Amino acid sequence: MITAERKPMAEIKAMLAPYRKILVVGCGTCVAECASGGEKEVGLLASALRMDAQIEGRTIEVREMTIDRQCVYEFIDKLTGVADRYEVILSLGCGAGVQAVAEAFPKMLVIPALNTTFIGETKEPGLWVENCRACGDCKLGYFAAVCPVTRCAKGLYNGPCGGSKNGVCEVDPDTPCAWQLIVERLENTGRNDLLEAIYPPADWSRQQGKGPRKIAREDQRSES
Amino acid sequence: MDQRTAGLNIAIFFCQQLDVNQDKNRRSLEKELGPRIRFFPLPCSGRIDPLHLLRALESGADMVYLIACPEGACRYREGNLRAKKRVRYAQQLIEEIGLEGVRIEMINRTAEMPDDIDAIARELLARDAKVSISPVRSNAILSFMQK
Repeated sequence: MITAERKPMAEIKAMLAPYRKILVVGCGTCVAECASGGEKEVGLLASALRMDAQIEGRTIEVREMTIDRQCVYEFIDKLTGVADRYEVILSLGCGAGVQAVAEAFPKMLVIPALNTTFIGETKEPGLWVENCRACGDCKLGYFAAVCPVTRCAKGLYNGPCGGSKNGVCEVDPDTPCAWQLIVERLENTGRNDLLEAIYPPADWSRQQGKGPRKIAREDQRSES
Repeated sequence: MDQRTAGLNIAIFFCQQLDVNQDKNRRSLEKELGPRIRFFPLPCSGRIDPLHLLRALESGADMVYLIACPEGACRYREGNLRAKKRVRYAQQLIEEIGLEGVRIEMINRTAEMPDDIDAIARELLARDAKVSISPVRSNAILSFMQK
């Protein structure tokens, strides 16, 4: 899941200041799961914006909408016929969602209400933890499904570093040592042999340095 | 000046477990005060969502109360503890737009408080008003207060 957090209200207000007709659009997928951009959060933000305008004596029109996914055109299309009645779309989608909505409505101003943060999991209600860097060269199969790039503070492929204490990272006492977890899981699954291997540095060219990455699957594409 | 004299609109969310006769008891006060007071019974205070609290303020309430069971005495164990965090979240959100956080208040019932929800509400109304009429209410359509 892609996680995000709401921007401070002052920043959102500053971006919206010139506009009176605002369409607040949520996304029902990742950012709904991390309680930053789903239907409830759209309601909270829209309500806060309306009250803020009333306090300041401004008249605004705020409409709330939440679509299933802001990053897929078929869902974005639900905004067609609605969006053009507003001056601005305030998107509670992740960065991908904001840009996809903007691309679908070239003449609409689209403003982000969230700061997109990381790919992670819901660890417990109200706690989301990063566990994937989208490096493009997944080695979880060698590391017992614990990512050392993301979960080890030092990003070590050939750990452990020796600095952990009682299974906790020396960099952050709230974080379990990723290599302790890797070793334990490899032992539990009978794959200690993987610890003997020496892993070469990651191929970071798969993650960055070439502009936006693309995945093209001919079997999934429409005829054109 | 108490809250009644100050002319405040009051929304009261409350846990139904507090008063088994809440349905009957709250109606007398609702009749007496008309649209100035509105009760919202919840199966547990843990059902509250920040959105409920904001919508109440947006719709014309000057003060929003959440009345919950004493800490450690929730029928569902931790509903009132969760509610406390949600109230804090809503308070922070309204503070961001310049409304006083004290417009939303959570009250855990104590042994000294009466059993009936209307009597508890009367005690709240008799308190000194911490806030004046909401700047939101002055423009709001009072749909929230109209049944």
